[in-house]
Amino acid sequence: MSANDDRVAVETSDRWPDDADETVGVVVNWFAAEGGHVEEGDAICEFQVEKVSVDVPAPATGTLEEIAVGEDEEFKRGDRLAWIRPA
Amino acid sequence: MAVNELQEMYENMVTARQYEERLQEEYLEGKQPAFDISAGPIPGELHLAAGHEAAGAGVCQHLRDDDTVTAPHRPHHVAIAKGVDLKRMTAEIFGRESGLSGGKGGHMHLFDPDVKFACSGIIAEGCPPAVGAGLAAKQRNTDSVAVAFLGEGAIDQGAFLESLNLASVQDLPVVFVVEDNDWAISMPKERVTDVENGAQRADGFGLHGTRVDADDAVAVYDAAREAVGRARDGNGPTLLEIQVHRRMGHFMGDPEAYRPDEDKDAAQQRDSIERLEAELRAHGVDDETIDDLRSRAHDRVEEAIEWAKDQPEPDPDNAYEDVFVNPPSGVTDSEPSTADTGGDD
Amino acid sequence: MAQQEKDDASGQQADRSLTMSRAMVEAIAHEMRDNNEVFYMGEDVADYGGIFDSTEGLLEEFGRDRIMDVPISETAYIGAAVGAAQEGMRPIAELMFVDFFGVAMDQIYNQMAKNTYMSGGSVNVPMVLTAAVGGTYNDAAQHSQTLYGTFAHLPGMKLVVPSTAYDAKGLMHNAIRDDDPVVYMFHKRLMGIGWLPAPDGPKTAVPDEDYTIPFGSADVKREGADVTVVTLGLHVHRALEAAENLADDGIDVEVVDVRTLVPLDTETIRDSVAKTGHLVVVDEDYRSYGVTGEIIASVAEAGLDDLKGVERVALPDVPIPYARPMEDEVIPGTDDITEAIRAVRGRE
Repeated sequence: MSANDDRVAVETSDRWPDDADETVGVVVNWFAAEGGHVEEGDAICEFQVEKVSVDVPAPATGTLEEIAVGEDEEFKRGDRLAWIRPA
Repeated sequence: MAVNELQEMYENMVTARQYEERLQEEYLEGKQPAFDISAGPIPGELHLAAGHEAAGAGVCQHLRDDDTVTAPHRPHHVAIAKGVDLKRMTAEIFGRESGLSGGKGGHMHLFDPDVKFACSGIIAEGCPPAVGAGLAAKQRNTDSVAVAFLGEGAIDQGAFLESLNLASVQDLPVVFVVEDNDWAISMPKERVTDVENGAQRADGFGLHGTRVDADDAVAVYDAAREAVGRARDGNGPTLLEIQVHRRMGHFMGDPEAYRPDEDKDAAQQRDSIERLEAELRAHGVDDETIDDLRSRAHDRVEEAIEWAKDQPEPDPDNAYEDVFVNPPSGVTDSEPSTADTGGDD
Repeated sequence: MAQQEKDDASGQQADRSLTMSRAMVEAIAHEMRDNNEVFYMGEDVADYGGIFDSTEGLLEEFGRDRIMDVPISETAYIGAAVGAAQEGMRPIAELMFVDFFGVAMDQIYNQMAKNTYMSGGSVNVPMVLTAAVGGTYNDAAQHSQTLYGTFAHLPGMKLVVPSTAYDAKGLMHNAIRDDDPVVYMFHKRLMGIGWLPAPDGPKTAVPDEDYTIPFGSADVKREGADVTVVTLGLHVHRALEAAENLADDGIDVEVVDVRTLVPLDTETIRDSVAKTGHLVVVDEDYRSYGVTGEIIASVAEAGLDDLKGVERVALPDVPIPYARPMEDEVIPGTDDITEAIRAVRGRE
């Protein structure tokens, strides 16, 4: 069991707009930086799919350990955008 | 309505619908996956009129080249029906040098003096100039008329209300055409206007007012004939409100999150073009003729778009020209004026 | 430059940065919670959240009476804001695009801006007039202006132009609390909207708690010894980019962000010119009779001996054209600023 199993993934499946046919989105903004402290529920990221902008709240309180998809980068629904190490 | 007039109206409406749908494709190109408004072959805002066609066609079919039309930021269907040069209009929308304004105006600021068409981007601002065109016609004793198109959101704007009064008190040959699609971007009409029937504003200002539903394009045609005729006969202005349906968002890129699905669906279902087609068939027009009309519209739209895309972009330095038709030379004229300035006799 | 201080006191605060729009909204929400008489009126501010995200998310918390969609009637609703303010409320009225001011200018410059003076101070107008400004996305002549000079020129209104999220929040708190009318211009390109990507720069760390930035306080966004660039809004970021490029050539550029045009922090500007001797003013408004002329004149008045060279970079006196090559030509770019900095140094 690796230490990484303790990390909480930041992903978008349950935030995806209901009527979006597209499965590809783009990260528009990160509101926290790698190594920064985040609080559960705060918007830490904003992505866009089919002209709709969606906020992604932090799923846990802790440290934003790794950002996998940077600003202006595309990703598929279900992709992990980042990892949080819970406090 | 005679069959050939029905066909002309149908062709105008189909051309407008196809044009808007093709522009939508062109516009969205280059703006994927993240919608960047300044990217692609048509940058900036684009307001398409799918669902409004009957208003443009039904009114403009009664107009001549010497009748003036002003239109708002959603103008293409009106321009097409008025006879604006479609290739040069398209080139303008694509920002090319051979566009109507050399690329300076873009889709919200299309000017075609040959058919006296102009559109602009500030709500209701086209109303006073239309009144002015009517004023000129009256002063010169011609029978040309002026038509101002506006949306239902614009009937709350001062410029419109003042224009109603001025046209009415001076008996000017003006028709105000309100295209009521019920939405001012995200604001539904009932939230911002206290009357359901905007034509009632006419009563308050002393002119004739009528409201028709564009589901029946023939009804629009008939109401417009009466209004334009009233103006041309020197019997004053009319306020003509036409219920239309906005089939697309306010501007391209508008996800319409504020709009209930039933409302969007209803707009899709109530298609005045389909109904007019049925009307044509009821008048004995056969499939082949209808197909011909449609494919002529298609070809015309394709030709305009392909031509436009082939045109060169303007030189950056063109930006400095056309501020004035008579640019100041910058040289101070030190010679005295030849006018007699008075003084001792 | 040390105006941004992360709050380490609690230790458990989120380290977050915000877009400029979110920072503005945060300030508005705070003031609205604090005072029931603060409300926001504008077109498409309710369900839509503002065309440029100026009220995003506020309808849910505050409802339609306080996040109020208004008819397309600028004269009526801006005038109504004047009246409500004179009753002691604190309305925020929004011009969707600053270019729309024309239809309502009487209420703005003849009522909002003058009633305090014309009444000898017995009446005041504690309102904020927000407006989206700026081009660079091909919205043509009637939807791309900043009009900084027009509003700064007419007496009786304070005028703020934030360039970063941190500045936006502090200036908004101050604007709402100010007992005088404040025109708050937010540049569309800086808001951090998905469909109008912002440059790097406006998104900054923003403290959770409320804070104010005083008006008349320019911010030196980059210290430098060789040339002073005074600017505002979007062009703060273009100037910073130019400064980065020129650092490689050994030209050390100081970038002064005015943050407010009325009142103007002439002291900071003059101190900077006293240090560098060279002044470039960059403005996204028309060149003649505007911001560039005003700033240069104010420096010349007090510090003519310090001034070895002056350049202004602004829009030419033409309506803003639609087509991309022409819009790019008229709106000053980073290259234009770089060129001006080199040129002003050539004058000794």
